[in-house]
Amino acid sequence: MTQPAEDMNPSPFVQLIGAKMESWSAGLMRMSLVMEEKHMNPNGVSHGGVLTTLMDEVAGAAVGLVRGLDTMQGAPHATVEMNTSFMSGPRVGDEIVIEGRALKVGRSVAFAEAEVRRSGRDDLVAKGRFTYVIVEPRSV
Amino acid sequence: MSEPVNAPFTAFIGGMVEEKSEGRVRLSLATGPQHADAIGNVHTGALTTIMDSVIGIALGTLRGERGTYRPHATIEMSTSFYAHATPGDEIDAEGRVTQLSERVAFGEVEARRRSDGALLAKARLTFAIPAARP
Repeated sequence: MTQPAEDMNPSPFVQLIGAKMESWSAGLMRMSLVMEEKHMNPNGVSHGGVLTTLMDEVAGAAVGLVRGLDTMQGAPHATVEMNTSFMSGPRVGDEIVIEGRALKVGRSVAFAEAEVRRSGRDDLVAKGRFTYVIVEPRSV
Repeated sequence: MSEPVNAPFTAFIGGMVEEKSEGRVRLSLATGPQHADAIGNVHTGALTTIMDSVIGIALGTLRGERGTYRPHATIEMSTSFYAHATPGDEIDAEGRVTQLSERVAFGEVEARRRSDGALLAKARLTFAIPAARP
């Protein structure tokens, strides 16, 4: 079941970018962003940094949805590897949808992937694979 | 030299050009609470943004005018994260073009915390260069 993401807030950096939570379910997180001038490169297409930020956000959140909020707060997971491919560049006015999926959540390592597409179109804008290490809880 | 980056997004998050020479660039970012991720560290995306721009600008120094009418674009970026930065840290990203040919270019870049020089992240990037119009 997919639920609306009203009760989940993006991180401060993602709020600065202006992306919105769309929906989430176990191991799956979806966000969207309407591209503005401030998201661009000098050549008029999206900056890669916008896409890497949003892909890591949804992939990390997808892992968090599997691990559970309480577990995550005690022992957060941190990105250690990010491999991203950029297939096409969204322009000002395009709406993009960013979807993250947890692939495997172990006790010390987790893997996830993310895809970016333009709303209503099938072609991929970007694809990323992410590896997270689960940080040891601090001993009291 | 310390001037805002030409790329709107990198300028928007606060990236500054510190050094620029043939094929080699250093950018800085003074991080704050606006750059935080879900657990309060600096978001990986703030680092990848300035690292991507380092190589984009470094390529521009070598390509000159051709960079304007045949703009290069990132097609691959592989990044390893060694340590996290905390909002308030000053970050430097320094990199160089490792190869530039007719249709493709490669670069390598490192991000460090300025206060102690700690290595935060390292990335390899591949750029595509559009074909010349006949």
